[in-house]
Amino acid sequence: MTPTQSSDADAAALACERNRHDSIVVKRNFHATVDELFCAWLDAESLAQWMHPGTTSPSTATVDARVGGAFEVVMHYPDGPKRHHGEYRVIERNRKLVFTWISDATHHTKTLVTVDFHASLAGTEIVLTHERMPDHEAGLSHERGWTAAFDLLQILLPA
Amino acid sequence: MVEYKSSSLDALFGAMSDGTRRAILTRLAQSDARVTELASAFTISLNSTSKHIRVLERAGLVTRSVQGRDHVLSLNAGPMAEAADWLECYRQFWTDRLAALEQFVMNKRNTSKHRSTQ
Repeated sequence: MTPTQSSDADAAALACERNRHDSIVVKRNFHATVDELFCAWLDAESLAQWMHPGTTSPSTATVDARVGGAFEVVMHYPDGPKRHHGEYRVIERNRKLVFTWISDATHHTKTLVTVDFHASLAGTEIVLTHERMPDHEAGLSHERGWTAAFDLLQILLPA
Repeated sequence: MVEYKSSSLDALFGAMSDGTRRAILTRLAQSDARVTELASAFTISLNSTSKHIRVLERAGLVTRSVQGRDHVLSLNAGPMAEAADWLECYRQFWTDRLAALEQFVMNKRNTSKHRSTQ
Protein backbone atom coordinates (compact mmCIF):
# COMPACT_ATOMS: atom_id res chain seq x y z
CA MET A 1 0.00 0.00 0.00
CA THR A 2 1.36 3.41 -0.87
CA PRO A 3 0.83 5.93 1.89
CA THR A 4 0.02 8.82 -0.46
CA GLN A 5 -0.88 9.46 -4.06
CA SER A 6 1.19 12.61 -4.24
CA SER A 7 3.57 11.46 -6.99
CA ASP A 8 1.58 13.30 -9.62
CA ALA A 9 3.05 16.71 -10.35
CA ASP A 10 -0.43 18.12 -10.15
CA ALA A 11 -0.53 17.23 -6.50
CA ALA A 12 2.02 19.95 -5.93
CA ALA A 13 -0.37 22.42 -7.43
CA LEU A 14 -3.10 21.33 -5.08
CA ALA A 15 -3.23 23.71 -2.20
CA CYS A 16 -5.63 24.15 0.64
CA GLU A 17 -5.54 27.10 2.92
CA ARG A 18 -7.68 29.07 5.25
CA ASN A 19 -8.43 32.67 4.63
CA ARG A 20 -10.83 33.69 7.36
CA HIS A 21 -11.22 31.42 10.35
CA ASP A 22 -14.78 30.58 9.44
CA SER A 23 -14.31 29.58 5.83
CA ILE A 24 -12.25 27.18 3.80
CA VAL A 25 -10.43 27.73 0.53
CA VAL A 26 -9.44 24.86 -1.74
CA LYS A 27 -7.32 25.53 -4.84
CA ARG A 28 -6.44 23.22 -7.67
CA ASN A 29 -4.74 23.55 -11.03
CA PHE A 30 -6.15 21.67 -13.99
CA HIS A 31 -4.71 20.77 -17.38
CA ALA A 32 -8.01 21.75 -18.95
CA THR A 33 -9.58 24.83 -20.43
CA VAL A 34 -11.73 27.18 -18.39
CA ASP A 35 -14.61 26.33 -20.70
CA GLU A 36 -14.35 22.58 -20.11
CA LEU A 37 -14.33 23.09 -16.36
CA PHE A 38 -17.05 25.70 -16.19
CA CYS A 39 -19.43 23.54 -18.22
CA ALA A 40 -18.83 20.58 -15.91
CA TRP A 41 -20.41 22.55 -13.05
CA LEU A 42 -23.56 23.67 -14.82
CA ASP A 43 -24.45 20.66 -16.96
CA ALA A 44 -26.55 18.30 -14.84
CA GLU A 45 -25.30 15.16 -16.55
CA SER A 46 -21.66 16.16 -16.08
CA LEU A 47 -22.22 17.28 -12.50
CA ALA A 48 -23.76 13.93 -11.63
CA GLN A 49 -20.69 12.18 -12.99
CA TRP A 50 -18.09 13.92 -10.88
CA MET A 51 -19.80 15.31 -7.81
CA HIS A 52 -20.19 12.10 -5.86
CA PRO A 53 -18.31 10.46 -3.02
CA GLY A 54 -15.75 8.63 -5.13
CA THR A 55 -16.35 4.94 -4.81
CA THR A 56 -20.11 4.90 -5.15
CA SER A 57 -22.49 5.26 -8.05
CA PRO A 58 -23.01 8.58 -9.87
CA SER A 59 -25.13 11.22 -8.22
CA THR A 60 -28.55 12.29 -9.33
CA ALA A 61 -28.42 15.96 -10.34
CA THR A 62 -30.79 18.63 -11.55
CA VAL A 63 -29.58 22.09 -12.58
CA ASP A 64 -31.46 25.24 -13.46
CA ALA A 65 -28.46 27.21 -14.64
CA ARG A 66 -29.60 30.79 -14.18
CA VAL A 67 -29.29 33.30 -11.37
CA GLY A 68 -32.01 32.41 -8.88
CA GLY A 69 -32.29 28.93 -10.38
CA ALA A 70 -32.04 25.89 -8.13
CA PHE A 71 -29.80 22.85 -8.26
CA GLU A 72 -29.94 19.56 -6.46
CA VAL A 73 -27.30 16.85 -6.16
CA VAL A 74 -28.29 13.63 -4.42
CA MET A 75 -25.12 11.73 -3.57
CA HIS A 76 -25.48 8.02 -3.02
CA TYR A 77 -23.40 7.18 0.02
CA PRO A 78 -23.08 3.58 1.20
CA ASP A 79 -25.34 4.41 4.15
CA GLY A 80 -27.97 6.13 2.04
CA PRO A 81 -28.64 9.10 -0.22
CA LYS A 82 -27.60 12.59 0.88
CA ARG A 83 -29.30 15.56 -0.67
CA HIS A 84 -27.35 18.74 -1.33
CA HIS A 85 -29.14 21.67 -2.83
CA GLY A 86 -28.99 25.41 -3.32
CA GLU A 87 -29.56 28.33 -5.61
CA TYR A 88 -27.28 30.10 -8.05
CA ARG A 89 -26.42 33.63 -6.98
CA VAL A 90 -23.81 34.60 -9.58
CA ILE A 91 -23.13 32.98 -12.94
CA GLU A 92 -20.34 34.67 -14.93
CA ARG A 93 -19.45 32.32 -17.71
CA ASN A 94 -15.87 31.01 -17.45
CA ARG A 95 -15.14 33.36 -14.56
CA LYS A 96 -17.22 32.84 -11.46
CA LEU A 97 -19.97 30.76 -9.91
CA VAL A 98 -21.61 31.57 -6.59
CA PHE A 99 -24.28 29.35 -5.10
CA THR A 100 -25.87 28.58 -1.79
CA TRP A 101 -25.23 25.12 -0.40
CA ILE A 102 -27.58 23.35 1.99
CA SER A 103 -27.32 19.79 3.29
CA ASP A 104 -27.59 17.67 6.41
CA ALA A 105 -23.98 18.57 7.10
CA THR A 106 -24.79 22.30 7.13
CA HIS A 107 -27.70 21.56 9.48
CA HIS A 108 -29.97 22.77 6.70
CA THR A 109 -28.72 26.31 7.07
CA LYS A 110 -27.50 28.18 4.01
CA THR A 111 -23.79 28.25 3.40
CA LEU A 112 -22.17 29.96 0.43
CA VAL A 113 -19.81 28.49 -2.14
CA THR A 114 -17.81 30.67 -4.56
CA VAL A 115 -15.94 29.03 -7.41
CA ASP A 116 -13.45 31.27 -9.23
CA PHE A 117 -11.94 30.16 -12.53
CA HIS A 118 -8.60 31.65 -13.61
CA ALA A 119 -6.57 30.86 -16.69
CA SER A 120 -3.14 29.66 -15.49
CA LEU A 121 0.06 28.39 -17.09
CA ALA A 122 -1.05 24.79 -16.67
CA GLY A 123 -4.54 25.51 -17.92
CA THR A 124 -7.01 26.62 -15.31
CA GLU A 125 -6.87 27.28 -11.61
CA ILE A 126 -10.03 26.83 -9.59
CA VAL A 127 -10.30 28.57 -6.24
CA LEU A 128 -13.24 27.34 -4.23
CA THR A 129 -14.32 29.19 -1.11
CA HIS A 130 -16.93 27.73 1.19
CA GLU A 131 -18.16 30.02 3.93
CA ARG A 132 -20.98 30.39 6.34
CA MET A 133 -23.75 32.14 4.58
CA PRO A 134 -24.06 35.82 5.40
CA ASP A 135 -27.80 35.37 5.26
CA HIS A 136 -28.65 38.77 6.59
CA GLU A 137 -31.77 37.86 8.52
CA ALA A 138 -31.65 34.41 10.06
CA GLY A 139 -27.99 33.65 9.68
CA LEU A 140 -26.48 36.73 11.23
CA SER A 141 -26.17 35.56 14.82
CA HIS A 142 -25.15 32.14 13.54
CA GLU A 143 -22.44 33.71 11.42
CA ARG A 144 -21.25 35.88 14.27
CA GLY A 145 -21.13 32.83 16.50
CA TRP A 146 -19.18 30.93 13.90
CA THR A 147 -16.63 33.69 13.38
CA ALA A 148 -16.25 34.17 17.12
CA ALA A 149 -15.82 30.45 17.66
CA PHE A 150 -12.92 30.32 15.24
CA ASP A 151 -11.34 33.52 16.48
CA LEU A 152 -11.36 32.08 19.97
CA LEU A 153 -10.11 28.77 18.72
CA GLN A 154 -7.07 30.52 17.29
CA ILE A 155 -6.38 31.94 20.74
CA LEU A 156 -7.09 28.79 22.69
CA LEU A 157 -5.54 26.15 20.49
CA PRO A 158 -2.46 27.71 18.92
CA ALA A 159 -1.17 25.61 16.06
CA MET B 1 -19.19 12.91 5.50
CA VAL B 2 -19.24 12.93 9.26
CA GLU B 3 -22.44 14.32 10.65
CA TYR B 4 -22.33 16.56 13.66
CA LYS B 5 -25.11 16.83 16.15
CA SER B 6 -27.02 19.88 15.08
CA SER B 7 -28.32 20.59 18.59
CA SER B 8 -24.85 20.84 20.11
CA LEU B 9 -23.55 23.09 17.33
CA ASP B 10 -26.66 25.27 17.65
CA ALA B 11 -26.03 25.64 21.37
CA LEU B 12 -22.43 26.53 20.60
CA PHE B 13 -23.36 29.19 18.05
CA GLY B 14 -26.04 30.58 20.33
CA ALA B 15 -23.56 30.86 23.19
CA MET B 16 -20.87 32.45 21.02
CA SER B 17 -23.14 35.08 19.46
CA ASP B 18 -23.05 37.32 22.54
CA GLY B 19 -20.16 39.71 23.20
CA THR B 20 -20.24 39.37 26.99
CA ARG B 21 -20.13 35.61 26.79
CA ARG B 22 -17.20 35.72 24.38
CA ALA B 23 -15.41 38.06 26.79
CA ILE B 24 -16.06 35.59 29.63
CA LEU B 25 -14.52 32.79 27.53
CA THR B 26 -11.48 34.89 26.69
CA ARG B 27 -11.06 35.65 30.39
CA LEU B 28 -11.37 31.96 31.29
CA ALA B 29 -8.79 31.11 28.63
CA GLN B 30 -6.24 32.85 30.85
CA SER B 31 -7.23 31.10 34.07
CA ASP B 32 -10.15 29.69 36.01
CA ALA B 33 -12.27 32.26 37.81
CA ARG B 34 -15.00 32.57 40.41
CA VAL B 35 -18.41 33.79 39.38
CA THR B 36 -17.99 36.86 41.57
CA GLU B 37 -14.67 37.70 39.90
CA LEU B 38 -16.28 37.59 36.49
CA ALA B 39 -19.17 39.78 37.59
CA SER B 40 -16.82 42.49 38.86
CA ALA B 41 -14.54 42.21 35.82
CA PHE B 42 -17.39 42.89 33.41
CA THR B 43 -19.31 45.41 35.53
CA ILE B 44 -22.53 43.48 35.14
CA SER B 45 -24.78 42.21 37.88
CA LEU B 46 -24.13 38.88 39.51
CA ASN B 47 -27.53 37.76 38.33
CA SER B 48 -26.79 38.67 34.73
CA THR B 49 -23.37 37.04 34.91
CA SER B 50 -24.95 33.84 36.21
CA LYS B 51 -27.38 33.77 33.28
CA HIS B 52 -24.55 34.13 30.78
CA ILE B 53 -22.59 31.39 32.53
CA ARG B 54 -25.55 29.03 32.41
CA VAL B 55 -25.77 29.51 28.63
CA LEU B 56 -22.06 28.75 28.33
CA GLU B 57 -22.46 25.68 30.55
CA ARG B 58 -25.31 24.36 28.42
CA ALA B 59 -23.12 24.73 25.33
CA GLY B 60 -20.44 22.73 27.14
CA LEU B 61 -17.95 25.61 26.92
CA VAL B 62 -17.67 26.19 30.65
CA THR B 63 -17.53 23.73 33.52
CA ARG B 64 -18.16 24.56 37.15
CA SER B 65 -16.58 23.07 40.23
CA VAL B 66 -17.68 23.88 43.74
CA GLN B 67 -14.80 24.53 46.11
CA GLY B 68 -16.20 25.26 49.53
CA ARG B 69 -18.46 28.28 49.07
CA ASP B 70 -16.91 29.28 45.76
CA HIS B 71 -18.09 28.24 42.36
CA VAL B 72 -15.01 28.11 40.14
CA LEU B 73 -15.44 28.19 36.38
CA SER B 74 -13.12 26.64 33.82
CA LEU B 75 -13.04 26.86 30.07
CA ASN B 76 -13.71 23.76 28.01
CA ALA B 77 -12.73 24.40 24.40
CA GLY B 78 -13.80 20.94 23.22
CA PRO B 79 -17.04 21.98 21.52
CA MET B 80 -15.17 24.58 19.48
CA ALA B 81 -12.83 21.89 18.24
CA GLU B 82 -15.92 20.03 17.08
CA ALA B 83 -16.86 23.06 15.00
CA ALA B 84 -13.34 23.10 13.57
CA ASP B 85 -13.67 19.42 12.67
CA TRP B 86 -16.85 20.27 10.82
CA LEU B 87 -14.88 22.72 8.66
CA GLU B 88 -12.06 20.23 8.08
CA CYS B 89 -14.63 17.77 6.89
CA TYR B 90 -15.70 20.22 4.20
CA ARG B 91 -12.14 20.90 3.17
CA GLN B 92 -11.67 17.20 2.51
CA PHE B 93 -15.02 17.05 0.73
CA TRP B 94 -14.12 19.79 -1.78
CA THR B 95 -10.56 18.53 -2.22
CA ASP B 96 -11.96 15.14 -3.22
CA ARG B 97 -14.62 16.65 -5.48
CA LEU B 98 -12.08 18.78 -7.37
CA ALA B 99 -9.91 15.70 -7.88
CA ALA B 100 -12.97 13.93 -9.28
CA LEU B 101 -13.69 16.91 -11.51
CA GLU B 102 -10.20 16.69 -12.98
CA GLN B 103 -10.66 12.98 -13.62
CA PHE B 104 -14.00 13.65 -15.27
CA VAL B 105 -12.63 16.33 -17.61
CA MET B 106 -9.66 14.15 -18.59
CA ASN B 107 -11.87 11.15 -19.31
CA LYS B 108 -14.21 13.25 -21.38
CA ARG B 109 -11.31 14.63 -23.38
CA ASN B 110 -9.86 11.19 -24.04
CA THR B 111 -13.24 9.91 -25.15
CA SER B 112 -13.72 12.72 -27.63
CA LYS B 113 -10.14 12.32 -28.96
CA HIS B 114 -10.78 8.65 -29.41
CA ARG B 115 -13.96 9.40 -31.33
CA SER B 116 -12.33 11.99 -33.60
CA THR B 117 -9.56 9.57 -34.64
CA GLN B 118 -12.00 6.89 -35.74
